[in-house]
Amino acid sequence: MTAQLTLDELAALMKSAAGLTVDPEEMANRPEVTFAEYGLDSLGLLGIVGELENRYERSLPPDAERAKTPHDFLDLVNTDTVTTTGA
Amino acid sequence: MNSPHERCSVVTGIGVIAPNGANTEAFWKATKEGISVLDTVTREGCEELPLKVAGEVRDFDPGELIEERFLVQTDRFTHFAMAAANLALDDALLGRADYNRSPFAVGVVTAAGSGGGEFGQRELQHLWGQGSRHVGPYQSIAWFYAASTGQISIRGGFKGPCGVVASDEAGGLDALAHATRTIRRGTAAVVVGAAEAPLAPYSVVCQLGYEDLSRCVEPDRAYRPFTDAACGFVPAEGGAMLVVEERTAAEERGSRPRAVLAGHAATFTGAALWEQSREGLARAIEGALADAGCAPEEIDVVFADALGVPAADRAEALALADALGRHASEVPVTAPKTGIGRAYCGAPVLDIAAAVLSMEGSVVPPTPNVVDVTVDLDVVTGKSRPAELQTALVLSRGLMGSNAAMVLRRCEKSPS
Repeated sequence: MTAQLTLDELAALMKSAAGLTVDPEEMANRPEVTFAEYGLDSLGLLGIVGELENRYERSLPPDAERAKTPHDFLDLVNTDTVTTTGA
Repeated sequence: MNSPHERCSVVTGIGVIAPNGANTEAFWKATKEGISVLDTVTREGCEELPLKVAGEVRDFDPGELIEERFLVQTDRFTHFAMAAANLALDDALLGRADYNRSPFAVGVVTAAGSGGGEFGQRELQHLWGQGSRHVGPYQSIAWFYAASTGQISIRGGFKGPCGVVASDEAGGLDALAHATRTIRRGTAAVVVGAAEAPLAPYSVVCQLGYEDLSRCVEPDRAYRPFTDAACGFVPAEGGAMLVVEERTAAEERGSRPRAVLAGHAATFTGAALWEQSREGLARAIEGALADAGCAPEEIDVVFADALGVPAADRAEALALADALGRHASEVPVTAPKTGIGRAYCGAPVLDIAAAVLSMEGSVVPPTPNVVDVTVDLDVVTGKSRPAELQTALVLSRGLMGSNAAMVLRRCEKSPS
């Protein structure tokens, strides 16, 4: 089974890790909007990466914490070759 | 500090989060009435520790006052500072419209004694309980001494000179002096002060090594400086933030100058060497008076450090006699902190707030829980004392040996 991170889950992580309320539909409809524009700083994204690494019990690609937009981030996380987990 | 050609620093806004009130009005009402709120420690995880009495801020919900994105990355000490800063800015009527076009004209300075102990404890527990991957990245900023300055600056959009003073408890006064220097160099306004949150379990354990910490279990007996019953000090959380502005700039934008930060000096005499603090504190008082161009007889009220340790209390009384001469035994002396505890760097800033409010209200607030004073000072006990006050002297010493004094002058009503 392949774990695919969704925009809904990303929005929930942005809330829990960085205290940000972001509408997943807005992220879907406006792919050009950056994390910075949503108010997520680099430490906030690092917190999300850490949470996902704990959840998946593996490392994410190094570029994940440098992703500029939610879509770039999902692309990196979801196309990573070792995304498959037993979850 | 206020020679005619120099840029003069005035207090235009006061924000207080204290054990006796989570806003300035409540703090001043309780302070004026001499209400003591020292009580048994109830903070989770602290109940079984040998510190039994403290000044807890109980009437404070950070979630109501601070946006969630700041809450997740900050400790309680920063919550206090951010909330107090907002109160001070509102009090000064200093809003974004005032500095939007010149954000570099507003700076931020705080003093800090210990940083973010509660946040740090939680993340260290994650580290040792679950492993390094479970430590959140905001640990890297939340427990820093600098956290409150940074977050106030980010939240308000203040891009002027920012700084953090880590010079022991007296750093609260040193931060104000730093703000006056910043203003002298050209900055229009500084959001300045200190707030502390030393009542998390880890933080309390750190303080248990202080010999001067009161172990008394009775709230009304735990902190009684200047008496034979003195048995140490009671710690507290909270603090105060002020808006300090260059006087002309403040008047031009229509705000009310309330008190001049007229003079300051600081000395160092070594950790817990209370007899030596006599000379250090006297030198600090003399320096602050000289800086303010103020004669000893002009001091109308003294807000004492009042540590509650017999040797320290004696040293403070002698330092006042050394620096003020005969006036030392005549001027009213008060220590409202005996009703709320000592909030480390926040304590002298709370005293500055109380001093401004005392001058405005023409009243010296009392020293709660203190009776039968045994030093040669006119300590105001029982109830507040009406008095015309033009000039106040605020004293502070730290457990690590710093001493500081600040002279405040009441502002005459501006000619409008």
